[in-house]
Amino acid sequence: MDTQWPRWEVFKQDSPNKPHQAVGSVHAADPEHALLTARNIFARRPQAVSMWVVRAEDIYSWTQEEVAEGQMTKGESYQAQVGQYLVFRKTSHKRSMTFVDYVGEVEAATPEEALKKAQATFTDALALAWWIVPADRVYKSDPSPETIQSWFAPAKDKTYKQQQYYATVGSHISKHKVGRGVEDEE
Amino acid sequence: MRSEVREALIAKLTALADDEVILAHRGSEWTGHGPILEEDIALANIVQDELGHATLWYGLRQQLDGSDPDQLAFFRDAYGYRCCELVELPKGDWAFTMLRQYLYDLYEALWLEAAQHSTYKPLAEAVQKIMREERFHLQHTQAWVERLGQGTDESNRRLQQALDMQWGYAQQLFVPIPGEELLVAEGIVPDLLPLRERWLEHSTRHLQNAGLKLPINPGYQPTSRAYHTEHLWSILAEMQSTARWDAEAKVW
Repeated sequence: MDTQWPRWEVFKQDSPNKPHQAVGSVHAADPEHALLTARNIFARRPQAVSMWVVRAEDIYSWTQEEVAEGQMTKGESYQAQVGQYLVFRKTSHKRSMTFVDYVGEVEAATPEEALKKAQATFTDALALAWWIVPADRVYKSDPSPETIQSWFAPAKDKTYKQQQYYATVGSHISKHKVGRGVEDEE
Repeated sequence: MRSEVREALIAKLTALADDEVILAHRGSEWTGHGPILEEDIALANIVQDELGHATLWYGLRQQLDGSDPDQLAFFRDAYGYRCCELVELPKGDWAFTMLRQYLYDLYEALWLEAAQHSTYKPLAEAVQKIMREERFHLQHTQAWVERLGQGTDESNRRLQQALDMQWGYAQQLFVPIPGEELLVAEGIVPDLLPLRERWLEHSTRHLQNAGLKLPINPGYQPTSRAYHTEHLWSILAEMQSTARWDAEAKVW
């Protein structure tokens, strides 16, 4: 018997004007549990305003190479589902802490069609990888101000032990670099 | 502030801080032993927050009597501690730990909500800081109680066993300390009696929805915070060992 809980990919939004970015994964029994652990693991100290989780098996992914070779279908597990799809894209090899960024939504009958539409719609940068997710498989943290206060605001007051100098305690990056965003943390 | 009110406030802040320190240390015993890495990290986060709350409460006491928080936490023996017995109990299994954390988080969240409008400004300010974190803790432990209660026969049995053991102990959270009525009269801290009603209402509903039975006989219900279980001595021996090893050390 497989005793592993399913894997969920976690998308974190650092501030209201930034896209949700894939930051890593958690194992959890259900969506609510996945969001709770994701908050603990990915947003205890880093800046955040919102988090999404998606079961890994609900993500349809294509690399640049797969697209170039025309491998558009992805096997039996990829089922047709008419509706909205969320599109995520990786455009840089420079980032080590995040993978794909959210770019928008398309309406399609299958994930493959969603990919084609995404390729036609989001043309401003070369895609190194695409992730396509049926909209109804995305679970989002509560957007109410109360939850944002409770889940994400305390991070700004937390201090850090610096790895190189363990006795040195520092404060949150946002205290030092006002008005700059996620690139600073990387 | 009149001197008897001041004394009572010092005692209350000590009790609040001591609960957090001991509960946090119990939670820290799971570090590296959690049922899954994600929960190991999550619980470590929660207990670090609780330690932060203790620091705030000790800090408020320091403003009143100049006592050093580190001295209070690491160089006071069990007779001087004013924690409740619930937080002293050994960590048990995951169900035991999650249930205790839930019963405590619910109490703390309700207490903080009621203490927001404290007439003692430093306390009201500390409450604002702590409250937002506590709301998240409660969501997390609430979710665990629900899942263990409704999970398998085994998880339900373990959680029920934890509840049978803890229910009486948890009632001590609502026993006022000597002199607390002075603080309530001045509007410095909330009255525990109506809080207990709210706590009973919330916890009963949630526990029953999770498929648990409230114990008919609540069992042992501690009252005075001057008395402790035998477990406090061993937990302090471990918790204080590093600090006592080298009392002059500035960093570890």
